[in-house]
Amino acid sequence: MIRSLALVLWVLVVAWCSTAHAMERADLIGKVCGDAAAMGEAGRAMIDIAAEGSPDDRAWAALIPRSVMDRKLSCDATGAVIASADGSVDALTRAARSAADGSRSPLLSLKNRAMFETADAALALRSSPDPARRAAALRTLERQASNLPEQLFEAAGRDESNPGLKAQISAVAQGAALNSPDMDKRIAAIGRVASSPDRRALALVGPLTNDPAYGANTDFRRAVDAASAAIRRGITIGDMLATLYNGLSFASILFMAAIGLAVIFGLMGVINLAQGEFIMLGGYITWLVQEALRLIAPGLLQWYLIIAIPAVFLVTAAIGIVLEAILLRHLYRRPLMSLLATWAVSLFLINLVRVTFGTQNLQFVTPFYVTGGVPVIGDFIFTWNRMFAIAFAVVTLGLTWGLMRLTPLGLNIRAVTQNRTMAGCIGIAVRRVDMLAFGLGSGLAGLAGLALAPIYSVNPQMGQNFVIDSFMVVVLGGVGTIAGTIVAALGIGQINVLIEPLWGAVAAKVIVLLMIIGFLQWRPEGLFAIKGRRK
Amino acid sequence: MARFSRRSFLRGTGLGAAAALTTSVAMPAIVRSASAAGGTVRLGCLFSSSGTMANIEGRLNHVVKMAASEINAKGGVNGRTIEVMVSDPASDWPLYAQIGKQMLDQDKVAALFGCWTSVSRKTVLPAVEQANGLLFYPLHFEGDENSKNVVYVNSPPASSVLPAVDYLMSEDGVSAKRFFMLGSDYVWPRTINKQLKGYWKSKGIAESAWKEEYVPLGFSNFQTLVNQIRAFADAGGGKPIVVLTVVGSSIPDFLREFANQGIKATDVPVLGLDMVEADLEGLNTEPLVGHLNCWAYLQNAKAPANTAFLKQWADYVKANNVPFKADVAIDPMVSAYDAVHLWAMAAAKANSFDVPEVTKAFAGLSFDCPSGYKLSMTADNNYVSRGVFIGSVNEKQGFDILWQSKDTPKPVPFSPYS
Repeated sequence: MIRSLALVLWVLVVAWCSTAHAMERADLIGKVCGDAAAMGEAGRAMIDIAAEGSPDDRAWAALIPRSVMDRKLSCDATGAVIASADGSVDALTRAARSAADGSRSPLLSLKNRAMFETADAALALRSSPDPARRAAALRTLERQASNLPEQLFEAAGRDESNPGLKAQISAVAQGAALNSPDMDKRIAAIGRVASSPDRRALALVGPLTNDPAYGANTDFRRAVDAASAAIRRGITIGDMLATLYNGLSFASILFMAAIGLAVIFGLMGVINLAQGEFIMLGGYITWLVQEALRLIAPGLLQWYLIIAIPAVFLVTAAIGIVLEAILLRHLYRRPLMSLLATWAVSLFLINLVRVTFGTQNLQFVTPFYVTGGVPVIGDFIFTWNRMFAIAFAVVTLGLTWGLMRLTPLGLNIRAVTQNRTMAGCIGIAVRRVDMLAFGLGSGLAGLAGLALAPIYSVNPQMGQNFVIDSFMVVVLGGVGTIAGTIVAALGIGQINVLIEPLWGAVAAKVIVLLMIIGFLQWRPEGLFAIKGRRK
Repeated sequence: MARFSRRSFLRGTGLGAAAALTTSVAMPAIVRSASAAGGTVRLGCLFSSSGTMANIEGRLNHVVKMAASEINAKGGVNGRTIEVMVSDPASDWPLYAQIGKQMLDQDKVAALFGCWTSVSRKTVLPAVEQANGLLFYPLHFEGDENSKNVVYVNSPPASSVLPAVDYLMSEDGVSAKRFFMLGSDYVWPRTINKQLKGYWKSKGIAESAWKEEYVPLGFSNFQTLVNQIRAFADAGGGKPIVVLTVVGSSIPDFLREFANQGIKATDVPVLGLDMVEADLEGLNTEPLVGHLNCWAYLQNAKAPANTAFLKQWADYVKANNVPFKADVAIDPMVSAYDAVHLWAMAAAKANSFDVPEVTKAFAGLSFDCPSGYKLSMTADNNYVSRGVFIGSVNEKQGFDILWQSKDTPKPVPFSPYS
């Protein structure tokens, strides 16, 4: 009798609970489809579900924030429908149905977007079966840990099965307790915050010196002082590394743009104003390779930047050789005319590309290896697309150096550079060397275009930005030396990066140019002049 | 305002008299040329098809042609068919003035449609005023200018930038408290930022709450600047936003670096004042979702006039093999389209192509803009009342409408904050 009564009671409770859930869920869907204020409430409600809701509720809610952010959720008269790859389902009951006519997908305001991002991460942390997804969610939540309900991390830590992740969660929870009434917890939180020494941490720890506890409690004061000292040290190191990295990255771009010119200008004394356009052509050929891969081998699409390397080099080198053979060879003894002729070539190439491809920026796939970056220390983020350019420049440097120093062609090129007439007299085919060297220079410029594709926009005008910079590097480095090109690129890159934060980007350009003018007054031959007779 | 002295008064009246003289001389010249052209009336375009501005300005040439052919199909204006003359000032500011002058003096165009950057407008301005021509300027801009020879088809800051900044500062927006202004180094960004600083001062915001940086036109290496923005954002003291006034190819290069350094719109939103759909072409916009812009038209505007306009553009692109995307429409395109219609309506109302007559006829004009708002002009000035949109970048390289004004605010040419 008692048992059956209990059973009835239990059934009643369950029924009541589930209807309550249904009510709450319907209410939540209603809010998601409501105005900005209601959507904000929905976001908060979902964070609460993540913290305190039943596993069932959490699993139900987990799908909602992401589909609103991606605008996969559409509201109609009867509720809301979530569209996915497998077909669309009702947001409330998860029964398959499609949206009624006149449905609209609600747009998040920026404030609500932040709320939904948090809700999405919180729900993922609590209900995603994938540990990697939970770890990513934790990283998102860490930045705003102090604004989240404490129960969220407590519950997540309790339920977490992965021991590594469990430790991380408890560390994040520790960091969130910066304003906890418990002094031990506070001190632990300070230590935790200081373990990622960046400006965000400083903004958290810095104001604690005004806290009443700072004067009253020596342990607390010591912890705060030690933490801010550690954070400041981290920030300084991070800033120094960032400056070096930025300088190196800019230098790699300058180097890539200038190395082809160094070969051409050094060898033949031809002022090639079309050099920038070879960079641009390199970008376009990279794009063509990408499109070809898309058609032929979609599986390799991510690797187009690597696969395109030989194609880009060979095609731009071939164009360079053709240009040399039909135009420039006739102008070697007339530098002014070669200047005008290459300028005409540059305009021709720009307009040819414009007519063929249009003026818009090309659409490149962003492969995973040039996406985003990793924070290192302080505020220094190591961005992969810049790293790609740096690595590319280093490899190019190695190969060019090897070619110039270790191969017969390199020997010939160096001989012709030092004394054209004498080289001709001892039997070097000067004409052939010229042609191959021009091809090499053009091919290197094309490779620069490839390396720049993940950093800059590729459009018909892109080359024009590089002509002046690359001449600057070549002239400063000393005509025709690879070492000079490297040192000049590193110097100009680093100086630019050092000046920019102090006086702005416009002043940086002016100051660098003034420095170069001053330097060339003192050493007109540049940093590394080739010893020998020059015409 | 400059101080008023006897000398400036004399110079002013002298200029006025000279201007009056030239008008009275120039008037019959225009009438003559129009009749000599035999049943056509010419309009001139000053939009670059090469140089930094090519990608965004180039398409406006085609829009003007499209609007003209639409009007021609309905019988033209005052019995004449419109002939559109296209030029290429090659993103070279002095060349705009030179070509503009040539079009006005030699080709006797009834009106010019042109310029994107304010610096190009400023160089064309003396040429247009001297010839007493008419220039329709389709871009939102810094205001602080009121020439009787220019029709400012788009909005001054008071009805474009300030509502957007207000929105971001409001509770509905992100309650922005700190501002990083990053612009190209020329007149539009500098004036806009000056007005914004004045505006924030009037709201009692301390000077330490903002930072201002400029880069040369065509600048692309934003690594250091994005580092600076991160340092500024992490310094604490309230929600930071970036007010971006860089132009041309600098916009995608900045956005790419911004996303790569891991900053999301929910951390630091970017309000790109010159950012249009065309700037997002070629970018992976997934990590950029949520950044903002503000214009008087967005492609996603819900209006029958917009559907018609988009269809007209798509058909025009297909029929004429125009080298621009058929499914992308940006505010200046719509503004140029509105401009041609406004001119045609005014010329029809005045029953003349004479600049002073046409200018007089502007008062009280209204037109159903593709944005869904009814544009209107008054006798006070040559500004046009437009609606205001705030757009939010979506993952499909477009903008979703986050906010739009109830009606068309009356334009305020001179900012009280500069």
